[in-house]
Amino acid sequence: MSFQRFIFRRTLMVLPLLIGVVFITFMLVRIGGLDPVGRLAGPTATQAEFDMIRDNLGLDQPLWQQFGIYLGNVVQGDLGESWLSNRPVITDIKERAMVSLELLFWGVGLGALIGIPVGLRAAFRPNGKFDQVTRVLSLLGFSIPTYWLALVMIFVFFYLLGWAPPAIGRMSLLVTPPDAITGSYLIDGLLTANWQAAHSAASHLIMPVICLAIVSAAPIIKQTRAIAIEVLSSDTVRYAHACGLPERQVRKLVLRNSAVPVLTFVGTEVTGLVGTMSLIEYVFAWGGLGQYGLNAIISGDFTAVQGYVLVLALFSVMVFIVIDIVVHLIEPRSELN
Amino acid sequence: MKLTGRTLAFSAALALAMGVMSGAAKAETMILASPQVPEGFDGDALKAHTQNVVTQVYENLIGYGKMEVDGQTVLNPDDLRGHLAESWTVSEDGKTWVFKLREGVLSPFGNEMTAEDVAWGWAKSLDQKRTGNFIARVSNVDSVEALSKYEVQFNLSAPSAILLSALTLYVPAIYDTTEVKKHITDEDPWALEWMQSNTAGFGAYHLDSLRADDQAVFVANPNYFGDQPYYDRIIYKEIPSEASRVTLLKAGQVQWIDRPSITQVVNMQADDNVKVERATSRSVAAARMNPTCDVFSDVRVRQAFNYAVDKDALNTAVFAGQADIARSIVSPIIAGSNQEHFAYDYDLEKAKALLTEAGYPDGIEEPVELLYSDAFWHQEPVAIQVADMLKKAGINAVPTRITSSEMRARAAPAVSDMCFFTWEDGPIVLDAVYSMFLMTHSAGVSNRAKYENPALDALIDEARQELDTDTRLALMDEAQKLWAADAPWILATYPATFEAMAPNVTGWTYYPDEHERWRELRGD
Repeated sequence: MSFQRFIFRRTLMVLPLLIGVVFITFMLVRIGGLDPVGRLAGPTATQAEFDMIRDNLGLDQPLWQQFGIYLGNVVQGDLGESWLSNRPVITDIKERAMVSLELLFWGVGLGALIGIPVGLRAAFRPNGKFDQVTRVLSLLGFSIPTYWLALVMIFVFFYLLGWAPPAIGRMSLLVTPPDAITGSYLIDGLLTANWQAAHSAASHLIMPVICLAIVSAAPIIKQTRAIAIEVLSSDTVRYAHACGLPERQVRKLVLRNSAVPVLTFVGTEVTGLVGTMSLIEYVFAWGGLGQYGLNAIISGDFTAVQGYVLVLALFSVMVFIVIDIVVHLIEPRSELN
Repeated sequence: MKLTGRTLAFSAALALAMGVMSGAAKAETMILASPQVPEGFDGDALKAHTQNVVTQVYENLIGYGKMEVDGQTVLNPDDLRGHLAESWTVSEDGKTWVFKLREGVLSPFGNEMTAEDVAWGWAKSLDQKRTGNFIARVSNVDSVEALSKYEVQFNLSAPSAILLSALTLYVPAIYDTTEVKKHITDEDPWALEWMQSNTAGFGAYHLDSLRADDQAVFVANPNYFGDQPYYDRIIYKEIPSEASRVTLLKAGQVQWIDRPSITQVVNMQADDNVKVERATSRSVAAARMNPTCDVFSDVRVRQAFNYAVDKDALNTAVFAGQADIARSIVSPIIAGSNQEHFAYDYDLEKAKALLTEAGYPDGIEEPVELLYSDAFWHQEPVAIQVADMLKKAGINAVPTRITSSEMRARAAPAVSDMCFFTWEDGPIVLDAVYSMFLMTHSAGVSNRAKYENPALDALIDEARQELDTDTRLALMDEAQKLWAADAPWILATYPATFEAMAPNVTGWTYYPDEHERWRELRGD
């Protein structure tokens, strides 16, 4: 199958998946007891006002009809209006997407940078001292609640030691944000030569990135180790050993053969960490998509919840497509179907 | 000294530099950490963080005087004085009030406040039929009209003793309509869309910038009619996590945090880096029983529930002993509160006896859902504690969590379909008649569990039109007695209001709307 045909087919496959996600989210939100009418009407509303708002929101229609209208709007790029921000959900999401992506990129990137080499090294000497230490650390990374970890980090590194800036968002309140180009304060600060903003953004990134890296590195270490051990015991590697290939070259072979499953796993980690990131954003007042989604859930802002879930689903699908492409580039023999 | 051009230029430059320097030295910024940025800036929309800030932007015709009680500055509800109004007259029948406005009051846009601005704000509230409309209804205001540039007339359907108190509130607001009207459209005659991200009032502050989910920055109104506030700039910063807010306050990174929970209050009281101020609140935390539900239709059952709950234990377990036990639906900070009528001290035997009389000799085995949400921090622990205490009387109360949005929707007067739930309510006017109307009258918007007693309604309606203070309070005393006998709520506590701030911040005074006034705060 040609590459273009593969992309086309994957894109087509995404459509029923997204419709499914829209349907499930729509139904879950409605049976989950989130009723926006009371919130919108306020405590002094009369029954007539309740009815009017219900009517305006189309909530007086049968559920299937409501879903049809919503789906029609989604197809046109209209995710509805958030009652919390009183703005189109799509605008809210666009503004916050880059904010979260920046954190995700650095967090998972650092997690992978630490996790993959550590996992490989542990695999080359299973049950050695290094392996035992990393297994304990990895277990800790798995078991420490993210929310608690973030709070402890703030307490220790900001409050006690004074090494980190306050958890007050993406930048010091005393610094003027750079002109928006990409939405990332760090990149925009660098692009516009606003060094003060770039410095402030970088320093505010450190703690949440480390927090996310710890959470993401733990499973990457564990999975990389398992994959590498499997590759090490494969016929290919045993054959390489039998042929007398130097250890360095054997390790290169292991690395190459582990790359595809490790990369696939890191991809799933990226999508899985989006939920964890909500908590990190919440604690660090990050103002990204995760915080937006969490606020929407807490406040019963169901159009925002639906939009948030849909965008996350879309993001996950895109991540998997990108992984498929990257895997194909690394391993051209992999089948594109 | 000979004045040369060079000397003049040097002097001017020096003066300018000194001016800039003194201006820079004076500039003070307060960072206020809040769980959320304001949801908009229309005071009629009852949204928590909107209310926090519109109180700073929109000031009203009347203000409270202050007094010292036990070394603390508090509002004096009996001392109502002109704020944006200079004086007023009232007709003999008590139905026509004319207010003379203060002249020269300017908005940040430089427009002068006129009677048209006052009338427009009331027309907006009456049309929107939301919070301001309720204020109008409860104070019998039918319409408001401008008589001249500086005279505005309030037409009442009946005399109102609480009109002046109502005019201390931030809603119905007085807008700078010269500015607001620039943003009106056919579809949006009150410029509500514009008010989502803009303000135009005559108060001490106005909105300078807003970043959704991040921060709102307010700056002092340079044309403010009163003394310029100490803080020139207030950064209202969204910090969703309470633990983070407290850490930032302790570290001196923020100067004020919004509404700390009781756990954090206890934690901060022991910390020298934080100042915690306390005031008895005007609101009541309670578990409400809906008399239209079968199980609560018998007054003896409701009384039994009250006897079965140990309020002292509840205060200790939930409020860390920091709250005040509630013995009336009217807070003791309001004149006319009688703390004697609600005499349901903990008595398990009496509770069981009343249940037996009501036909439940073995208690109530059928599960009674006690709903709670996270709309108020204490709802869940109160529900759990109350359910546990009721079990000792043989009542099978089951704490059940629902979302705050569902609870708010179901607690709205038009719905009111919950049988048993925990909640907190209170008046934003320090007046006993207003309090009773709000929470116990069949038309009260905070009467959220369909409690109705025609005799009580009649007493409140009579008091709403009565101008003699002693007679009004006597009527409310009778009303509190009636309500206590009906026992529709398990009164728990007045939860107390706490504000946490940097140690150098002074000037805080408790307001019944529970929002500090930034213009009164100082940081020197």
